[in-house]
Amino acid sequence: MAEGSSIWERLGFRRASGVGEAGWGHAVIAGLISFVYFLPVLIIIITSFKLQTEALAVPPKFLPTSFFGLIPDAYVFTPTLENYTSVFSRSMITGAAAENTGFDRYFFNSIVIASVSVLLALAIGTLAAYGFSRYPLKGNDTYLFVILTTRMLPAIVVIIPVILMFRAAGLSGSYVGIILLYTAFNLPFTIWMMKSFFDELSPDVEDAARLDGSSEAAVFFKVCLPQVVAGLAATFVFGLILTWNEFLFALLLTGVDTRTVPVGMNQAVAGGGIGVLWGLLAAIETLFLIPVFLVTFFLQNHLLRGVTFGTVKR
Amino acid sequence: MNSIAAQRPIPALMAPAPDNWKLAAIAGVAVSAVAIAALPAAASFWITGAMVAMVAASFVVNAYRRHYFGGLLVSPAIAVLFVMNIFPLLWSLGLSFFAYQSNQQTIRFIGLGNYQKLLTDNLKAPELWANLTNTAMFVVLTVIAQMVTGFLLALLFAKQFPLRKYLLILVLTPMMLSVVAVGVFFSYYYDPTFGILSYVIKAMTGGEQFILMSNKTGAVAGIVFADAWMWSPFVMLLVLAGLVSVPKYLYEAAAIDRVSAWRKFLTITFPYIRGLLMLALLFRTIEAFKMADLVILLTKGGNGTMTISYHVIRIANEQNKTSEGAALSYLLLFVVIVLTNLYLYLANRRAKGS
Amino acid sequence: MTAITKLKGFATAASFATVLMVGGATYAAAEEVVLRMAVPDWPPTRIMKKFFDEQYKPPSGNKVTLDVDFIPWPDFYTRVNASLTSGEQKYNMSVSDSQWLGAFVEGGYFRKVNDIIDADPALKATMAEIHPAFYNAYSTYPYTSSNIYGFPQFPDVLVTYARKDVICNDEEQAAFKAKYNEKLPCTGEELDNMDWGTFQKVGEFFMRKKGDKLAGQVLDDDFYGIAYQAGKGYDFSSMQINGFIWQYGANIWDETKIPDGQAEGVVNSPLAVKALDHYLSLLKYMPPVAKTGTMDIFKSDELFREGKLAMNIDWIGLGEASLDPKTSKVSDKLVFGMTPGLRGADGKLIRWNNLGGQPFVLMTWNTDLQNKEAMDFVKWWLSPAIQNQFAAGGGQSAVKSVYTDPKYVTYRPWNRAWAASLDWQKDVWHVPQFFELLTQQQDQFDLAITGKQDAKTTLDNIAKFQQDLLKNAGLIK
Repeated sequence: MAEGSSIWERLGFRRASGVGEAGWGHAVIAGLISFVYFLPVLIIIITSFKLQTEALAVPPKFLPTSFFGLIPDAYVFTPTLENYTSVFSRSMITGAAAENTGFDRYFFNSIVIASVSVLLALAIGTLAAYGFSRYPLKGNDTYLFVILTTRMLPAIVVIIPVILMFRAAGLSGSYVGIILLYTAFNLPFTIWMMKSFFDELSPDVEDAARLDGSSEAAVFFKVCLPQVVAGLAATFVFGLILTWNEFLFALLLTGVDTRTVPVGMNQAVAGGGIGVLWGLLAAIETLFLIPVFLVTFFLQNHLLRGVTFGTVKR
Repeated sequence: MNSIAAQRPIPALMAPAPDNWKLAAIAGVAVSAVAIAALPAAASFWITGAMVAMVAASFVVNAYRRHYFGGLLVSPAIAVLFVMNIFPLLWSLGLSFFAYQSNQQTIRFIGLGNYQKLLTDNLKAPELWANLTNTAMFVVLTVIAQMVTGFLLALLFAKQFPLRKYLLILVLTPMMLSVVAVGVFFSYYYDPTFGILSYVIKAMTGGEQFILMSNKTGAVAGIVFADAWMWSPFVMLLVLAGLVSVPKYLYEAAAIDRVSAWRKFLTITFPYIRGLLMLALLFRTIEAFKMADLVILLTKGGNGTMTISYHVIRIANEQNKTSEGAALSYLLLFVVIVLTNLYLYLANRRAKGS
Repeated sequence: MTAITKLKGFATAASFATVLMVGGATYAAAEEVVLRMAVPDWPPTRIMKKFFDEQYKPPSGNKVTLDVDFIPWPDFYTRVNASLTSGEQKYNMSVSDSQWLGAFVEGGYFRKVNDIIDADPALKATMAEIHPAFYNAYSTYPYTSSNIYGFPQFPDVLVTYARKDVICNDEEQAAFKAKYNEKLPCTGEELDNMDWGTFQKVGEFFMRKKGDKLAGQVLDDDFYGIAYQAGKGYDFSSMQINGFIWQYGANIWDETKIPDGQAEGVVNSPLAVKALDHYLSLLKYMPPVAKTGTMDIFKSDELFREGKLAMNIDWIGLGEASLDPKTSKVSDKLVFGMTPGLRGADGKLIRWNNLGGQPFVLMTWNTDLQNKEAMDFVKWWLSPAIQNQFAAGGGQSAVKSVYTDPKYVTYRPWNRAWAASLDWQKDVWHVPQFFELLTQQQDQFDLAITGKQDAKTTLDNIAKFQQDLLKNAGLIK
């Protein structure tokens, strides 16, 4: 690599190979690309502060302020928090008093159901993945494949048997039922993902630990698990995202008390005898985004810590 | 193979022992089959559940006695999956051999009749074929778009740079959105009267309002774009996890040896991301085969965008033709299984070859 | 716990139980009855629940609760269908689209209520008050038979929504007169008398580009004259095309003529082709989204509320939103009329249309007590006082003494078109094969609407499909 101090490099456009450091120049490019990529989400967030009559304005009103008259009025909207209060309480009949929409409950349900089921799937799935990776059974690949096939069919196909099963077991409308279902829903991905992380680990460290007299449990908890924290974080995030937004099972298997946000969200789509309530839908989505956004943000360091400590792969 | 050798003799097949899982499995399947065939749903559910528990218990005892850690570790996951997933799947597989509509009280065994009808009926077969081609088209287009975009994004974020953490989360956000919101808002972005796309194009050309979704090319492009936008971050995150794990000194060594960039990628980087790349490919392909939500929200299947999965929803949900829907999805499953096996075979051969 | 305290505990429990039982016997008359009802989440059902909670006093003296599950419209069918067909027997009552009756009656879910009505002369008199078009569509299965299943929850028809500020503008009036030598409809009465020819001219006349003038003002965006649903989803292109077909004197497959009524030769008769062609010819004056096949009833309503249209034909059920300044840019500029019709040889308008709205029904697994309470509730709901209140709050009524009351037209601006429209309503099929018929027809109409297939081929395909399907089902001989 050439030692250089051209104008570009002093501006931050440093050359770096593979995993390395890059400077502000790279940050600017990445920033532009990220901004463009984020734009559709940004429009949703901006829409959540608009009144219904401003949401669809042509030309689009994309700024909440005119910056002291710099931007023509046609592009400026009056920001409002009304959509956010409407998420939780609004009048369902023209002219009537505002009533509770049930969304406080939906948010609570979404958080409980998604977090419990994903953690459960992570616990069970990681054990299974470790088993598949370290103690292959006879026909190991077949088991793994069968596990994968459960994700290959459209959910609508299994819905009738599941409803019947839930009814027979007294699980319909209960937290236990939907949590168990989501756990199973997350398992295939968790197992495959965690197995591939375990497969990447170098066996030398484990063997060394065994020679030192560590039990099998100690090898798993003290040697292997710490090395796959990145994998656990990634699997948790993916599982959370998929479960968080699952719709069909939630629609058909939850009761009034256990209903989740994605089911309630359609209140704002062709709900109430109006097409799409743009601001309301955007506000629901924005609020609904925040928890997963924060979880992902705080797990990011783990996500990027890298898969392996070992230097020699199997 | 790390498992420790068996410490006890394996019981004979017919010997009733708590660790004879083979006998337990045979008995379990037999009892469950009889229960499902003869008893009402409520009773057969609990009997089958008890059988599953029995088989699982004998698995655990067996695994524990012989130090089969594999079995011990795997059985909780298998049990949950069996009850919540595999059992309903087998149920619907069974239904696919009957003439049954969920809103009618009659049920009649017709063997492969549903499959035969789907494959040979002069109305249904062309429809199936058209939907299958559309689905294949979406699978190829969306998966390629996601893999390429995801991979490029991962390269962009592989280096350490200022604000990386904050920019990365922006790119990850699309996959956290709910499909309903994405579908509804993209239909707004694509709308010829209100949409941003039409507005921008009109401003640039000064011409008519731009109608994206009025022909097959436009409709497919619109759906693929929305789907790829939403799910590329998934691919990116997996690839990124591989990229950041490449030890730095390998690159330094390569730099000293003046290895070309392409070779560097092929010999150093690629081995680290191959497994995760394949995993991303596998999962995105499976999801792409099930694509329905975005199609429903953006085109309702118009302009040649009807997919198998949407077709199944129509048949099984709207028209209540449960058996036919089940048969159709098992045909789809067959295709997916063949493809994934092919893919796993290739991936394994590659892995062994390198 | 000692033996003594245990005994004491038992004694307490036993005496408590005795008190309960005696108490129960004393007040046997006042039982608690819960009616669980699945409804779409929108004002007509919210109003019903509100009225029930605030005003309803069961004549039996029982304590009746109406436990309403409000389900957002887009998922309503999926949820109700899954609940019914899985046999979970969760609901005692449900709102249902009239077309779903066949599927759910044949499935054994919706209860026939003839016995209850026969036993109750007052209720029978109430049923006789319902307009026959709605009575047939909402209550009877097979269509127009004497088996009764449902009661009107929210009856609905299509009406014309129009912008007074645009169509009554003097300049526009004069220009229209100059161009077509006929008066641009402006008042409600003039809208009532509008035929498809004039409607089309309105469409052509008001197609304006950004920068053009409209009613004296420069447009900052393109503007369109007319819109009339053209959507592939659900029934969003069958309802209006059915209207055209009936107006031309052609017919859809007629379920009242089972088993002799044919599909082939009827559905694709030359008159039907002409009718479909007429509808298709209007599309070029509609906003460009019509060309994508996704201009459903909500989209055209949205375009209208956003001020991009001079006229829109849509259900009354979506009307409240356009009157509300919070959701509509045109809330203070509206005039409503009946839908346009086809001018007959005698100069009178033929204006057959497909009715909308929903009945509500009872389930077969209800207990006798639940049925009794449910029917008392129905009777109360259909009583003129409550129906008037409902209409005043934004609902509609198919009960004759209510909609003929002079007060009725004052409730909402579109009510002036209501009574006159009722006689022109028919309904689409109610047979259990409804969804199969509908899906294939919608797919075919979509091909025609997006310009991929002509009217003749479209109707030929539909006729052939229906003939096959209905023959196999034994509905066509």
